Amino acid sequence: MKPNFRFKNIVTVLCMTVLAGTAHAGDTALNPEWPSAASLYTRKAPFMDSRSYMLALNEGGGAQGQAAMPMTPAAGFEPPLFSGSNAHKYLGLGTLALVVATAIAPKPSEHAPLDEQKSSTHAKLGRAAAAMAAATVTTGLLAHWNDFHLEDGFSDPDNLHAMLGTAGMLAMLYAVSKAPASEHAGMGMTGGVAMGVAIKITW
Amino acid sequence: MMRNKLKVAALLAGALLVNGAYAEAEEGFWGWLINFERTKEVKPVTDKLYQEECGECHFAYQPGLLPAKSWEKLLNAEALRDHFGDNAEMDKDTLRAIHDYAVENSADKSWYKRSRKIAAATAEGAAPLRITGLRYIERKHRDIPEKMVKGNKGVKSLSYCDKCHTQASKGVFDTDTVAIPNYPNRD
Repeated sequence: MKPNFRFKNIVTVLCMTVLAGTAHAGDTALNPEWPSAASLYTRKAPFMDSRSYMLALNEGGGAQGQAAMPMTPAAGFEPPLFSGSNAHKYLGLGTLALVVATAIAPKPSEHAPLDEQKSSTHAKLGRAAAAMAAATVTTGLLAHWNDFHLEDGFSDPDNLHAMLGTAGMLAMLYAVSKAPASEHAGMGMTGGVAMGVAIKITW
Repeated sequence: MMRNKLKVAALLAGALLVNGAYAEAEEGFWGWLINFERTKEVKPVTDKLYQEECGECHFAYQPGLLPAKSWEKLLNAEALRDHFGDNAEMDKDTLRAIHDYAVENSADKSWYKRSRKIAAATAEGAAPLRITGLRYIERKHRDIPEKMVKGNKGVKSLSYCDKCHTQASKGVFDTDTVAIPNYPNRD
């Protein structure tokens, strides 16, 4: 019974990782000229020395004479249905739904055998919620790596979102690791609420 | 255990309040809290006069893209005589209405996420006059190669937001809605 559970967990984590990776790849793979998240770490001297590469730094008199250019909005463009940003959003909402489902699912009796407790709906939902929380944080890091900056301070909405989301995920993972042997409801709920607050702040 | 839970609840409530403080000016904290509409972008332009007057010559930039102190500097009779190289003078009443709308909906009075970030980045120091000069906007566009904007006949300058941001008129500047002219493979 135990190996079966472990196998399911591994498959779940693998699926989430593939989803996160695919979402990120979809963002950058189509145009090799477009900087990828990884280029932040790999781009060394040649690029960083060439300040002209950084467009915003020499955007001086661009606005001058704007009236001369007619407005031609891009036509026929449809935002992609599947992107890193969308994957992050739906995984986050899915996590919240699983947290609620875990909280309202019937809990197994404390006196029930351990295997029975671990295979209960409540336990399965709890593990799924924690796995989805981990996938949410992973996709968030990949898709929004350039949205949070420590220099913006604690009150910056993206910084708060990242901190609360990560703390929420850790609390949920901790709760799952403690269950069913010891008290874990408070930690699990705290994780879920932290995730909810994180979503609301940048919704 | 109970005390710890209370501490955590207080911390989370504090985080919401810190963020909700931005909401005060427009809708109030509770209004923001129970509002499920997305406010992660910039509030779209809702004023017809502002849209018509500004949009006649260029993209009608949402007031939430600059703080009030910037609009105060930009939208006065003297400044409009030399509005980034063009004469954009208008009659007194129109100017008053546009000025008031811009100031009332400026970044520092908005609860929309991008506006909140712009407000925070411009809270100190002189009033920025160019949206493209904002630290937040610079950072978001820093990695875009010059050839895609300045060297791109379909764009020419970061100032033409709506050339690439296909939903800029709705106040949406999300990466997913970007389509750079002449670079169709960049989704």
